[in-house]
Amino acid sequence: MTSRHVVLAAALLSVPALLLASLALGDQTVSRADLRSLFNGSATEQIRMIVLDLRLPRALMALAAGVALGIAGAIAQAVMRNPLAEPGILGINAGAALAGGLVIVGLKGAGAALLPVAGFAGATLMAAAVFALSWRNGTSSLRIVLIGIALGSLAGAGSSFLIAFADVADVQRLMIWLSGSVYAASWETLRRLAAWLVLPVVLACLAVRQLDLMRFGDDIAASLGQRVNLGRAFLILLCTTISGATVAACGLIGFIGLIAPHVARNMVGEGHVRLIPGSALVGGLLLMAADLVGRTAIAPAQLPAGIVTALIGAPFLGYLLWRRRHVGQ
Amino acid sequence: MSVNETTEAGSGLRLDTLSLGYGNRMVVEGLDLKIPSRAFTVLLGRNGSGKSTVLRACAGLLKPKGGAVLLAGKPLSRFGARECARRIAILPQGPAAPEGLTVSDLVRQGRYPHRSLFSRWSRADEEAVKEALELTGMADLREQPLENLSGGQRQRAWIAMSLAQQTEILLLDEPTTFLDLAHQAEVMRLITTLVKSRGKTVIAVLHDVNQAARHADHIVMFKAGKLVQQGPPNIIMTREHVRCVFDIDPEIVHDAKTNAKFILS
Repeated sequence: MTSRHVVLAAALLSVPALLLASLALGDQTVSRADLRSLFNGSATEQIRMIVLDLRLPRALMALAAGVALGIAGAIAQAVMRNPLAEPGILGINAGAALAGGLVIVGLKGAGAALLPVAGFAGATLMAAAVFALSWRNGTSSLRIVLIGIALGSLAGAGSSFLIAFADVADVQRLMIWLSGSVYAASWETLRRLAAWLVLPVVLACLAVRQLDLMRFGDDIAASLGQRVNLGRAFLILLCTTISGATVAACGLIGFIGLIAPHVARNMVGEGHVRLIPGSALVGGLLLMAADLVGRTAIAPAQLPAGIVTALIGAPFLGYLLWRRRHVGQ
Repeated sequence: MSVNETTEAGSGLRLDTLSLGYGNRMVVEGLDLKIPSRAFTVLLGRNGSGKSTVLRACAGLLKPKGGAVLLAGKPLSRFGARECARRIAILPQGPAAPEGLTVSDLVRQGRYPHRSLFSRWSRADEEAVKEALELTGMADLREQPLENLSGGQRQRAWIAMSLAQQTEILLLDEPTTFLDLAHQAEVMRLITTLVKSRGKTVIAVLHDVNQAARHADHIVMFKAGKLVQQGPPNIIMTREHVRCVFDIDPEIVHDAKTNAKFILS
């Protein structure tokens, strides 16, 4: 057993551990005896509600969204051939924010209910626009990155402009949604997210060889028989669907897509056969942990998970880069 | 090692009134060329003469603006991408690998066109990788990260990847540039082995005229997108041709020992 195996085993064991902790901890602590009572059917109505209707779907939602973001991040980094890439580069975040701003301003209070739909639509439309505009007899990774950044800032300016005209209460609702949180999770939203994710996640697992090859650049990939433009379009579509569904379910949760693949790379190496499940695992863990910290650290107030991921994620990424400062030229 | 047993005429690569360009700029127009099978062909010419462009088109990396590249009599565009990659391998100039790969990670990529979506890593894949590593002398370094290798070793690792593709035709774009003399000689020796004992067709773009004169079976000289001259080195390596193609006025020295010609500029 190498240290890598130990870390991997610890990560795998952390999933049930974190899940249990998420069920037990919170405004009202649920004791071990209470948790056990759930299994033999003797639990009180109150315990059942807190654990089964509130905390369990919420923890599973964090797990699912984290898994999705981790996978989307790994795909984005391979397709963009850039270690700093994340789904947001495809304009997903900016598009979701702009669409959110539009419904909030356009429909006033009624718009809040439409935020998830608007978020998904904005994210996918924006990614489609980035892809279409970067097409010149085919696409290139660099062109997608540059156009993604340009369109992203344009949409950002657009949503700031809109927000300036919106009602303060609506803006606050928008901002909370944008900062990314799983607090509104229910079995219903969890089911919807899972349904959206199943197909793209399975396809991503099947595309591991394409992902491996994509990182070598267009010439090498094409010379080995990959249809690079088709492959890139397909993978971007996967990445967009996965992150768009996550945005719809819990708003914009940053940093997971960026750091989960990096952490996973340290654990399982570069090959996507292991990197995709690895990123999924790390992403799920990070978001579960972030949500747990977010709702217990300054209880009874709650920090949106998206803010916690940024608070933990940014220094952690810095640490990773610092540790690897001697690698490469 | 499966050497393709089709007839000489059928398996070869032929350029038929091929026109190539980028955007509106034409680089090569109406080029006709037959590449001899199971021989080492070198494309020579000054920078920008179109030789690398022709090489890329031969691998299907660049779509023709007119005419066609014919493989076994059929236009390359009619082959599927994978099928094409099982028959022609190309190593572009100065290839870059993602960080953190080992030699064996790289060489295994060469098996991509041979594997279908659900097929597992097979015995044939393992054999092909092993053979490629041995041919290039990289077997001992297989677990090394690419970043730890010298320039010559890295180049050999890339050639090993192309060999793992097990194609009849191998295209190399300046495989010896940036290598020191010993490593250059090593790469040229490897090419000779591939052609002589493996029956491969190798086409390379080289900058070193003497390397070409000494090792090639067939030389094709380009100038400004036009074919100037082609043939075996002993016949076409004349003062006049070299002067025309490279705009230098050379001395040609004949070495009786190796029966090769050397160009002194």
